[in-house]
Amino acid sequence: MTKQARYGIDDTPIFVIDQSRCIGCEACVQACEECGTHRGQSLIHLERVDRAQSTQTAPMVCMHCEDPTCANVCPADAIKQTEGGIVQSALKPRCIGCSNCVLACPFGVPKYVAEFDQMMKCDMCTDRTSEGYAPMCASVCPSEALWYGTAEEFKASRTGSLIDGWLFGRQHVRTKVFTVVDDLAGGPLDALAAPTRTWLDDPFGLEEAP
Amino acid sequence: MTRIPLTEEQLVERYGPHLNQAPPGGWDAGIEVDRVVETHCCFCGQQCGIKLKVHDDRVVGFEPWYDFPFNEGKLCPKGVKRYLQGSHPDRLLHPLERDESSSEGFRQVSWDDALDRVVSEIRRIQAAYGDDAFAMLSGVSLTNEKSYLVGKFARLALHTANLDYNGRYCMVSAGAGNKKALGADRAPNPWSDIPLADVVWVAGANVAETFPITTSYIWRARDRGARLIVQDPRVVPLARTADIFLPVRPGSDSALFGAVLHELIRNDWLDHEFIDAHTVDFDLAAAAVADMTPRWAADVCGVPAARIEEVAELWGTAATGMMLHARGIEQQTKGVDNVLAAINLGLATGKFGKPGCGVSTITGQGNGQGGREHGHKCDQLPGNRDITNPEHRRHVAEVWGCDESEIPGKGIPAQEIIEAIHDGTIKGLISICFNPAVSAPDSNFTAEALDRLEFYVAIDFFLSETGHHADIVLPGSLHEEDEGTSTTGEGRIVKINAAVSPPGEARLDWKILADIAERLGRGDRFRYDSTQDIFNELRRASAGGTADYKGATWERIVAEHGMFWPVPEEGHPGTPRLYEGGRFFHPDGKARFHGVAWRESAEAVDDEYPVWLTTGRVVSQYLSGTQTRRIAALVAQYPEPLCEMHPRLAESLGIADGDIVTVASRRGDITLPAKVVNTIRPDTVFIPYHWPGTKAANQLTNRAVDPISKMPEFKVAAVRVRKADGHTTTTDARDFELTDAGKPSA
Amino acid sequence: MAEANRLDRRGVVWGLIAVALVVALTFLGSDRLVWFDAALIGYLFGTIFAAFGVVYRYAVWLRRPPTAMLNRRGWDAFRRNKGRNLAALPSLAATQLLTQGFIRRRSRARWIAHQLVFWGCILAALVTFPLTLGLLHFESVGQQADRYQVYLSRVGTLSFDAGSIAGWTMFHALDIAAVLVLAGVFVFLRRRLNDPGALAVERGGDFLALAGLFAVSVTGLFLTVSSAWLEGQFYSALNTIHALTVILGLMYLPFGKLFHIFQRPGNLGVAYYRRENSVGAPAVCRRCGGEFASAQQIADLKAVLPEVGFDYTFATRVEGGEDGNYQDTCPRCRRASVTLAQSARVGGFG
Repeated sequence: MTKQARYGIDDTPIFVIDQSRCIGCEACVQACEECGTHRGQSLIHLERVDRAQSTQTAPMVCMHCEDPTCANVCPADAIKQTEGGIVQSALKPRCIGCSNCVLACPFGVPKYVAEFDQMMKCDMCTDRTSEGYAPMCASVCPSEALWYGTAEEFKASRTGSLIDGWLFGRQHVRTKVFTVVDDLAGGPLDALAAPTRTWLDDPFGLEEAP
Repeated sequence: MTRIPLTEEQLVERYGPHLNQAPPGGWDAGIEVDRVVETHCCFCGQQCGIKLKVHDDRVVGFEPWYDFPFNEGKLCPKGVKRYLQGSHPDRLLHPLERDESSSEGFRQVSWDDALDRVVSEIRRIQAAYGDDAFAMLSGVSLTNEKSYLVGKFARLALHTANLDYNGRYCMVSAGAGNKKALGADRAPNPWSDIPLADVVWVAGANVAETFPITTSYIWRARDRGARLIVQDPRVVPLARTADIFLPVRPGSDSALFGAVLHELIRNDWLDHEFIDAHTVDFDLAAAAVADMTPRWAADVCGVPAARIEEVAELWGTAATGMMLHARGIEQQTKGVDNVLAAINLGLATGKFGKPGCGVSTITGQGNGQGGREHGHKCDQLPGNRDITNPEHRRHVAEVWGCDESEIPGKGIPAQEIIEAIHDGTIKGLISICFNPAVSAPDSNFTAEALDRLEFYVAIDFFLSETGHHADIVLPGSLHEEDEGTSTTGEGRIVKINAAVSPPGEARLDWKILADIAERLGRGDRFRYDSTQDIFNELRRASAGGTADYKGATWERIVAEHGMFWPVPEEGHPGTPRLYEGGRFFHPDGKARFHGVAWRESAEAVDDEYPVWLTTGRVVSQYLSGTQTRRIAALVAQYPEPLCEMHPRLAESLGIADGDIVTVASRRGDITLPAKVVNTIRPDTVFIPYHWPGTKAANQLTNRAVDPISKMPEFKVAAVRVRKADGHTTTTDARDFELTDAGKPSA
Repeated sequence: MAEANRLDRRGVVWGLIAVALVVALTFLGSDRLVWFDAALIGYLFGTIFAAFGVVYRYAVWLRRPPTAMLNRRGWDAFRRNKGRNLAALPSLAATQLLTQGFIRRRSRARWIAHQLVFWGCILAALVTFPLTLGLLHFESVGQQADRYQVYLSRVGTLSFDAGSIAGWTMFHALDIAAVLVLAGVFVFLRRRLNDPGALAVERGGDFLALAGLFAVSVTGLFLTVSSAWLEGQFYSALNTIHALTVILGLMYLPFGKLFHIFQRPGNLGVAYYRRENSVGAPAVCRRCGGEFASAQQIADLKAVLPEVGFDYTFATRVEGGEDGNYQDTCPRCRRASVTLAQSARVGGFG
């Protein structure tokens, strides 16, 4: 299960988010604000999906879309992509705090920080990744729901297929961040798909024969 | 009398918990780093590797330690924010003496005055009431070196038999069960065995919240195709992803294990060869479960019989399998029974001593493993030696340079010490890193006891709720202020490195003990030049015992990223997996099956108290919270205890989510918000225990203890739940993010 | 950037209008070039170029669909309650544009640096542009050698003694501005060099802007040094270098980081838009039924998205039902939907 501690340019490490493995511990949330590019501001999202029903939690980093909706709806032209495809936080001098990006992002990623009157978002810890280190969240994630490494390392240690395509209604979105599915045959992940039913609908067997 | 000098509120106002919000210099300052120290997290038995960033003798941040093999940089939220316990406004900087006339409850005194007072009180009490009337309570947040020294200090400097430690409230049932069945008190497996298992069975362990890093090991197994079984009264986060969920009713674990053994035998899913060659007393175990059918167990445990049968087949037919258990099955009056019944399942199917096989406890406290091996357990001497065994006593006496008769006999365990304080037979107490005011069962009783001491001296870095009762408070050292070793839940000895020096007048713990010993006239046994000196003496003291550290030098521990005991000789590679080839640690090399008959917990539900209560932890808090309740980011995650209950139970009581409810047991009551969730059994409520006073879950718990391990029953009690006045919202940042847009800025 | 590929005709027109205005202002303001200082002709060309560039870029920027929408909505909002909004303008402008508390809350050091540079630049601009365009000049009063009067075009205003504090300040206004800017630049640089996080998100333009400000300020100060202490040694060479840096700086204005000076006031429009929206109807999430933003802003986004090439609509499962729009989902439910969709594809843990 050994991964590299530090990656070179030729390793082309990838970020993988497997939300299903999240245990909701918030290590990522705590570690995010320790990142040098936005110290004191945690930019990852982690929420309970519906605590009354389950302990499932929803972690969300920026998926770094190939053609980011956030940048396209920004009136100030403040959201830029790096050559490596990282969609950066709004340029501080330009962002006028309108929140268009916050509302339009299909993944619900950018945050409007009222205190600073500007948008901030996950930049995949540019200070770390530019030096070959994993982003803070993927460094600490105890369940590896957030993971950073090479595709080969992923294949060697994990099941499931990597996928980078999403459907939001008619909109197809391709992302730099990968997620995991059992089977690629199902096509892009459909955010509007109906939920499946599992034993979790009746965890205590209240409807089951004793 | 050691009544608290002011009200709790006044003491909290002065001594905290206050919240450390930000690193030294604040968040918006750039971060300057003089050096980075490789060490370990102090907040649980996994002892994850972590690097601390240091500037100007202050810890200013952390960095993942990718090269440490156990966690490869991973950390839970406590680990991430652990560095904020340093540079804390509540840090004790000077010796304090209780002073009811002071507005602060304590006055600052010199070290000389404080130590003189301590020594004169020890002498007075021991002269008046006997040596054993002065007790010591210790904690396993301490390193091996400190733990060892505490054991030696209590025996040789204090001359008291009555030394025990807070592991008594943690994993002592597992230790006792392992010793009885397998011959050694250590997890049989290194964690690298978990990914090799075809079945992983997690029993009474909320892994995701109490040992988060272990989750990744379990996923590694599942990535290989392993099936996951989770046994818990709640759908804890790991259970959500389980293949089979066993929602046991609190206190019924041994019935469930019994039914599985029953099924293994009935279907002959047994490893006869293993049983014959490497075990004894299988018949006893078999006889005990003869009537424990899945149908019977279904009634007792509240788990559908089909799920029990499915689990038996899975466990019985899998080539490899690991069971991981923790406080859920151990903190019961049947804790040892439960552990023995679990081990029976491993022995019956030959799942010991080979890759991917084992029944392993997950040690809870930071140095729970190492601490208990080296001396501050009431019945043990270093190296897991037995304090009643003459040969063991002779060995240790030789290392200590004393006469064997100088070493007192077996003392009473922690809970009995508290009872003895309550009934007046113990008059004086010294404690270090132990906060029974929060962590002991029946906290109203504990508070009464703590009021009744004639003299109490506390060594700690923050003033804990127990410390409120102290006559003298001695400022000790934080984890990052001293070096040493600790031993992880895997049995891996790791090196703790000092990042900063103790602030103000605070001192290293071992130097405080040595100072007291000096003034008691026994200083000649406590003259060390360095922490490493203590470790080297520990190595000699443990040599030949089961927990044998003889060959484990600091240098090798650092170079090899930890060493697994036993390391009986220099150059020995250490022993990651115990019982290799089925050779157990009993003199005949064989493991013991135990007949585990069914019995009910000390307290069962009835008409008056019709609901089961179980207690536990949340991921953002550690034990009694002395450290973690002082870190703002962790407090924000789960600020206050909530009472989890199923909507069916809530509905029957007219309770809605967020309603304030009163939960009462025969011992006390607590009023707190209800959290109505579908993820807990309808007959059970859950309350986390990290808070003191009126927020203490332990106001409800039962002082009844396991007959063997003396572990109190934290996990099972009978309560009644009533709606009280008031309503609050139980949502936190995880339920709703306030930073979402659309709302106008202020 | 697409806008950089070929010239935008409307942008050119607006730019030329701006140029015409500058020229006209110079001509009229300098009393038909009587007071125009020919030595400053380079600066004038720089100013004209900057005016064209800034206005051109601004015009192009304003026509991007989201910008146009916000621009329209901002003015709509402003007009809807003109009296109140006008009254609120001074304090809004003061806090958002002048005192910049939003930067202070982010980092005090950054705020101090920004304030120094900001006020330094304002001061410099107030002196340089009027001088360059010939709007401002000094004349000595009668026969008094060291008494001067300030003239705006041909209107004489206050007079002062060259040796007095007011006089010293007047003649050294640019030096003061340079010192302010330099102090700010140093704080910025120190922060950037000491903070690995700031360094990592550094963009080329950030350093260029700081380098430009530094060059202009230092070369300007050298002129004073030369005349005050070196008896004018190297003055003309230094003067040329200074002029060059200023002209380059002016030409950089439309392209670089400093363009935010012109964009930032858009923040006022956002403030009005927000205020208007906060009293308007809220958007209701199609998934959880909760209110999550203003209905107006969501409607505006749904209008803008197709213009920039996105289609978040979906066919409802009800027959004959109208298309739904994913944009009617609150951000929290988006994150939950994404998680649930993914979980369903890996064994369906709920």
